[in-house]
Amino acid sequence: MAVGTILSWGVGSRRGMTDVVLVCTLMSSGVNIFCFTACYFVAWMLELAGLKARYGWHRLVMLAFAGAGLAAQTWYLIDRVSQAPATPLATTFDWCLLAAWVLAIVYLGLVFYSPGTSIGLFLLPLILLLVGAAQFASQVPLAARQASQFWGVVHGVTLLLGTVTVCLGFLSGLMYLIQSHRLRKALPPVVSFRLPSLEWLHWINSRALRWSALTMAAGLLSGVILTHMKHPTDTSYRLWTDPVVLSLAAMLAWLITAEIFRLVYPAARQGRKVAYLTLAAFVFLVFMLFSITMLDTVHGRKGHANELTACPMEVSV
Amino acid sequence: MKLRMVGCHHRHMSVAVRERLAFNNNQAEAALVSWRDAYPDTEAVLLSTCNRVELYAAVEGQHLPPCSKSLAAHLASFHQVPIDELQPSLVTLEDEEVVRHLFRVAASLDSMVVGEPQILAQVKKAYDLARGIGSTGPLTHQFFQAALRTARRVAGETPLHRHRVSIPSIAIADFASRIFERFDDKMVLVVGAGEMAEETLRYLVDAGTQNLQIANRNLPRARLLAEKWHGTPVAWDHLYERLVEADVVISTTGADQPIFTLEAYRRHVAPRRHQRPLFILDLAVPRDFEPAIGDYLGTYLYSIDDLANTCDQNRQARQTALPAAEKIVSQETLKFLAEARHRTTVPVVAELQDGFRRTKQEELTRLFRKVPDLDDRDRQEIERFADRLIAKLLHPPLESLRDVSRHGSPRQLVEALRRLFQLKE
Repeated sequence: MAVGTILSWGVGSRRGMTDVVLVCTLMSSGVNIFCFTACYFVAWMLELAGLKARYGWHRLVMLAFAGAGLAAQTWYLIDRVSQAPATPLATTFDWCLLAAWVLAIVYLGLVFYSPGTSIGLFLLPLILLLVGAAQFASQVPLAARQASQFWGVVHGVTLLLGTVTVCLGFLSGLMYLIQSHRLRKALPPVVSFRLPSLEWLHWINSRALRWSALTMAAGLLSGVILTHMKHPTDTSYRLWTDPVVLSLAAMLAWLITAEIFRLVYPAARQGRKVAYLTLAAFVFLVFMLFSITMLDTVHGRKGHANELTACPMEVSV
Repeated sequence: MKLRMVGCHHRHMSVAVRERLAFNNNQAEAALVSWRDAYPDTEAVLLSTCNRVELYAAVEGQHLPPCSKSLAAHLASFHQVPIDELQPSLVTLEDEEVVRHLFRVAASLDSMVVGEPQILAQVKKAYDLARGIGSTGPLTHQFFQAALRTARRVAGETPLHRHRVSIPSIAIADFASRIFERFDDKMVLVVGAGEMAEETLRYLVDAGTQNLQIANRNLPRARLLAEKWHGTPVAWDHLYERLVEADVVISTTGADQPIFTLEAYRRHVAPRRHQRPLFILDLAVPRDFEPAIGDYLGTYLYSIDDLANTCDQNRQARQTALPAAEKIVSQETLKFLAEARHRTTVPVVAELQDGFRRTKQEELTRLFRKVPDLDDRDRQEIERFADRLIAKLLHPPLESLRDVSRHGSPRQLVEALRRLFQLKE
């Protein structure tokens, strides 16, 4: 096996890949998924430990681990790009990791923007969840044989941004509801569990809703175009029976409805209602991620099984 | 270093006497200038706040600072207060007591409200003022820098300052700032007038509030308050209209019935606000807002009782933080005194090192003359050997000096070194 190739260990049936697949990927650089997952996990544990007691070194160590995790993940993704120059980061596996990477950047940015807040308590588990979801996702490039790489990139990037904004909207909505609840009960602030102000959370929340609607719409549209280019005469593939497409369409419908609701009904422009809308959007996202990682679809495992032979860059051991 | 402090503070002197002794900036400047002229060899800093007036004096180790009577007389004569009247209530501290006292003052452990944050800025301002006049020097510089460092350590390493204990500060810093990210674009409506409302306004203005609307049944009173706070007076009839626009409301009227009833709020305010966040601080007793108004979405209503619970919790939390804060003060006091004592050994250490270096140079010159065939490399090696030897020979006495300085005066050891090595006084 040439240096730089990806090693995959599969547990379960090879053909259908229906069982849980434990993928441990080791790159030529020596950085593997475990490196950054462990870093994020330790940072999260430190956030949790901070609820009990915080020391002078606490934040520094937490930042060091999160920073190390981000650096390792960046290195890992760069290595992935160099392994597949034709369709870089075009697999659902990479897509999940990339979404986690963007959220990790957002996390570090927020830690510097608003030090002392407990944003990591909410963001880090989501990052770990996405890295975890990547373990179940296909590693076959979705756009490997497609006519237009341009539409493939547009499809991937817009859905990636949509996922990130839905995640951010969900987290800010969750934090909004917790903060609002604490204020209603006149509970004093706790140093170890500081949340941003309602005004700031509302700002993030409402913009996340708008941007997720726009990016998801662009993602779905580019996907439809891509499908028509890829399967112009293929009658065996029906776009609107793919669970991933259906869950994405449902989420988009919800996001558009929510945005219209916000525009028409003034009270829905305020924090708590927007928070509920973004929480619901996240449920759709979870369905979509589930479809991608668990179901036999073109986007998921079926794509892997069908296209495994067409992908020379990957060697299954 | 010799230190002396004479002054009065809230525990030993009534506010009436403290007021007579208090110095504003100009007076403090004048007092320090006259002090500098009278005692040019003594460094001095005057700390005057609403809770204390204290004059700190410092001189080099060989000299003695002016006696406490002179210090007291200087304070009293400036305000023309008879010294006999002050003497029983004045506090006099010396050396280590002065260090510990200033460190506790700067860390807000000696304040009337323990943990209040203003005192650190006041100590810094007092030092800066004295430095500007030229009544400070290296001794007070080290002393006050150490005090500020202690205060910062207490603030950073203990939760003492994080727990606010006044209703207005809790209302703004612990509650309103969790709702609003900024206050410069918010409209604040003050209904009625009162000491606590004004204190809350002070916090809001500090936070950046610019749009202040002041409503009162008595419009001239509203105008008066509005003028004081650069706000806009509001006629009582327009109260509900302003409430619709407001982001923050501070209500503190003396009405015996709620001014804002649930029915009126439901009819005139809630439908027009569209659940936009509203922070209401009802400081009135009996309350100005019917409590059920707080059930509306986006309305965060707090009465004095709601915040009083937080006040009590914070007071208790401060008490639990006190031992840790006192420990830091003790550590910093010991450290400062050890460093100050060690600094007194600097002349003898320098003299000792000079003596060794001179001897080394003489012996090397003699050796190189006797052995002229040595090349440069050999000469450098021999010089390095001599340097290492001196460093190793001096290490034990210098370390002993440092050790002794940590626990007490190194004077006897310094004396012994002088006699052993025949150093000049």
